[in-house]
Amino acid sequence: MTASVASGSGQRQRPTSEAVLVVDNLSTGYSGVPVVRGLSLTVNAGEVVALLGPNGAGKSTTLLAVSGVLPALTGSVEVLGNPVDRRAPHRNARRGLAHVPEDRSLFADLTVAENLEVGLSGRRSATRRALNVALDHFPELGSLTSRRAGLLSGGEQQMLAVARAVATEPRLLLIDEMSLGLAPIVVERLLPIVRNIADDLGAGVLLVEQHVDMALGIADHALLLDHGELTLSGAASEVAARRDLIEAGYLGGVSSTEHRAT
Amino acid sequence: MTHLTFLIVGLGGGAVIAALGLGVVVAHRASRVVNFAHAAMGMYIAFVYYELRSTGDLVQPLLGLPGRFHLIDRPTEVTAFVIAMVVAALCGAFIHAVIFRPLRNAAPLARVVASLGLFVYLIAIVGLRFGSQSASSRVLEGPLPNELVTWGDIRVPADRYWLAVIVVAAAFVLWLGYRYTHLGLATRAVAGNERGAILVGISPNAVGLANWMVATMLAGAAIILAAPVVRLDPSTTSLLVVPAVAAALPGRFNSVWGTVVIGLAIGMVQSEILNLQGEWTWLPRIGLQQGVPLLVIVATLALRGDVLPDRSSTLGSTLPQAGDTRNVPPIAGLVFVMAAIAALFVNAEWRSALIVSAIATIFALSVVVVTGYVGQISLATFAVAGVAAFAMVRASDDLGLAFPLAPLLGIAVAVVVGYLTALPAVRVRGLNLAIATLAGAVAIEELVFKWAWFTGGFAGATAESPSLFGWDLGPEAIGAAFPRRTFVVLTLLLAALCVVGVANLRRSSTGRRWLAVRANERAAAAAGIAVVRVKLTAFAAASALAGLAGVLSAYSASIVSASSFGVFDSLVTVAIAYLAGIASPIGALVAGGLAEGGLLTALVDTVNDDASQYQFAVNGVLLIVAAVKFPQGIVGTGTRARRPSGFGAGAATDQTSPPVNHRP
Repeated sequence: MTASVASGSGQRQRPTSEAVLVVDNLSTGYSGVPVVRGLSLTVNAGEVVALLGPNGAGKSTTLLAVSGVLPALTGSVEVLGNPVDRRAPHRNARRGLAHVPEDRSLFADLTVAENLEVGLSGRRSATRRALNVALDHFPELGSLTSRRAGLLSGGEQQMLAVARAVATEPRLLLIDEMSLGLAPIVVERLLPIVRNIADDLGAGVLLVEQHVDMALGIADHALLLDHGELTLSGAASEVAARRDLIEAGYLGGVSSTEHRAT
Repeated sequence: MTHLTFLIVGLGGGAVIAALGLGVVVAHRASRVVNFAHAAMGMYIAFVYYELRSTGDLVQPLLGLPGRFHLIDRPTEVTAFVIAMVVAALCGAFIHAVIFRPLRNAAPLARVVASLGLFVYLIAIVGLRFGSQSASSRVLEGPLPNELVTWGDIRVPADRYWLAVIVVAAAFVLWLGYRYTHLGLATRAVAGNERGAILVGISPNAVGLANWMVATMLAGAAIILAAPVVRLDPSTTSLLVVPAVAAALPGRFNSVWGTVVIGLAIGMVQSEILNLQGEWTWLPRIGLQQGVPLLVIVATLALRGDVLPDRSSTLGSTLPQAGDTRNVPPIAGLVFVMAAIAALFVNAEWRSALIVSAIATIFALSVVVVTGYVGQISLATFAVAGVAAFAMVRASDDLGLAFPLAPLLGIAVAVVVGYLTALPAVRVRGLNLAIATLAGAVAIEELVFKWAWFTGGFAGATAESPSLFGWDLGPEAIGAAFPRRTFVVLTLLLAALCVVGVANLRRSSTGRRWLAVRANERAAAAAGIAVVRVKLTAFAAASALAGLAGVLSAYSASIVSASSFGVFDSLVTVAIAYLAGIASPIGALVAGGLAEGGLLTALVDTVNDDASQYQFAVNGVLLIVAAVKFPQGIVGTGTRARRPSGFGAGAATDQTSPPVNHRP
């Protein structure tokens, strides 16, 4: 069913030694009902993979299963070479997985600085270094460190959510709908930062995004999910070239089957 | 100057309230629960300390294991205190691991019931371990110096100052800890957004564990140090949780300094009221002091409450399913016929048990209506029942009303009082309503039940035996003929009628409106239901049931005393009704059977004479187990097994409420 546009560098083919995330034949969902079925994907270090698809395709569900919050019905998830810990999901974060969920999950009553520190070990030197890394990517937050997170604007909150993840110096970063509720101009500023994070930290990034063109502009690879199944995968430039397939995926209907048949 | 003296004396009581309030705040931050058992935990730890001091025995709280073992001979104050703190930390860890950690994502009502179960259990276990010693409030030698300190004209025992200083120091340490330590930061993060905390690598369980250990140690230290000031007695001390909750409430269970300031203020005002009662002879002699926390609670809730709830404050969506009640009348009829036939043959002990169970069924029905059907919670059931009982006695003694009129008047008074205690329900819901009604119950107990003219004072009031057209309906008789069979059958009949009545109400349009309000107040309002009126109707119906139960228990005991209508009984009734199945009239029947002194007690007594003393403790355990494992209750679990599961407050898994069965 999967239309693979990629030929040589298809990223599903070879989980290399630098793979930070390997998802194999994953089915997951809520209360035993699968939302995502038979999904396989790989994210390598330093690589941005965009996960695209219409509402209800299972993008957020996939991320929740990768970070150990949702159970896998079948298949496996390996993060940094280890199976993801679903009994104590907080351990995954300590091992270098950072997840920026759709609702941002900020601590509204804590200050910006406290939000950034809370996930760190508490050692002073490590804390300072991590804060610097986070503020390097988001200099706007530098003047807001003592403000309560609940008082930030939507864009600032989103920066803080990503900065909090970056502060933990993750090796795998999951970002869910970073652009939700933000003006396109803000998104245009935020997405390149994600690219920088992947390049600077050498982290693998799995990015769920509704702004398809902007996401494809910064991603190395892209996957298209529809009704919980992978319908297209390949290098970002090649996926971008198949606009018809993407539009069919978002708008639904007959044309997608037609194209898959070709 | 006397004013200042009394205010300073009040620092002692205020410090205890503030310290307990701090513990309530810590537990709330850790588990989002208002722990009604907080003072009871401190009470148990204090018993451990004073027993260590006097005998060197360590008393452990787990039922089924040996109650005490000898640790050291005559430990010093410091040794005993350290051991008591270790015991407190272990208890806190155990309570978190076994009760509140599994309930992390459960319905608020399940957490309330679990904390009530813990409350019942701790009081019962202290009663078991210390026997009659526990009831007498011994004069205790506390660890703090208590010689009089003279300061100008003011002569106050030194421990009052010490207590105030210690609680402020404790608050300062807590405040520093929450602000500057990593654990404190993690605690605030978990309290703010649990899913976010997990995603940045914080374990909510580890955070909860540490906080519960701190909370229990705080509770223990508070009661140990203050026992000479506040007396140490299982139930009185445990009810100190009411002013403690009042102190924590204005700061939304989150403010360390707010809790301390308000706690100290409550204690000082209470002490000053004692002074004013001496000066101004027109003030009522009793009860005013207990009114202070109630005033704080009502004022806070009145200023804070909203007519419609915000997104997170309902407890309705996770209540057990309120199923169809078509099969209730035949079942109730069958149970009545069997019980009535049995009443003709069984001995006096079993007849008493039948009466107790029938009355408890009516009490439980009152809870089914308010909590099971409308999703509100009231902890004032027995206070309302007591008002009915005493009003009935006054009506027949002072107004000379005959049998059916006096109890009817009593029930009418109960409806009015129940209506008044329900007024907070217009604006507050969930836990806050539980707190408001609990404070209301304590206020009724202190203001009304200690009013000698109304209640006959210490001796109690005598309820005239009911008779109709010369036919004696009362229980009075000589020897083994007591209680008379006529009264047993009458009580059973009334209970059965109430069960059928509630079942029919559930199927009427009133019942459908109740369930609509329970499911979603905002949606109900949007559908044109007058939410406030529906709630108040339900409270009125529940008060009538409670009033009937109160009148019947007055007749069955013939001497009515305030002690039979305590706050504790209200807590136990809500808890047992929940355990039996809170959204079903059949659940109320089961609750009647389980009640203390009812059929289960009689059965246990027949099997083993010594066993019934454990019933309270076992009830506590059962409640906790029920709240953790069977949120549907005994009756609900059979019909529908649904185990809430899933992760975090915001997970998508647990948002499906059980569908309410609307049959036309």
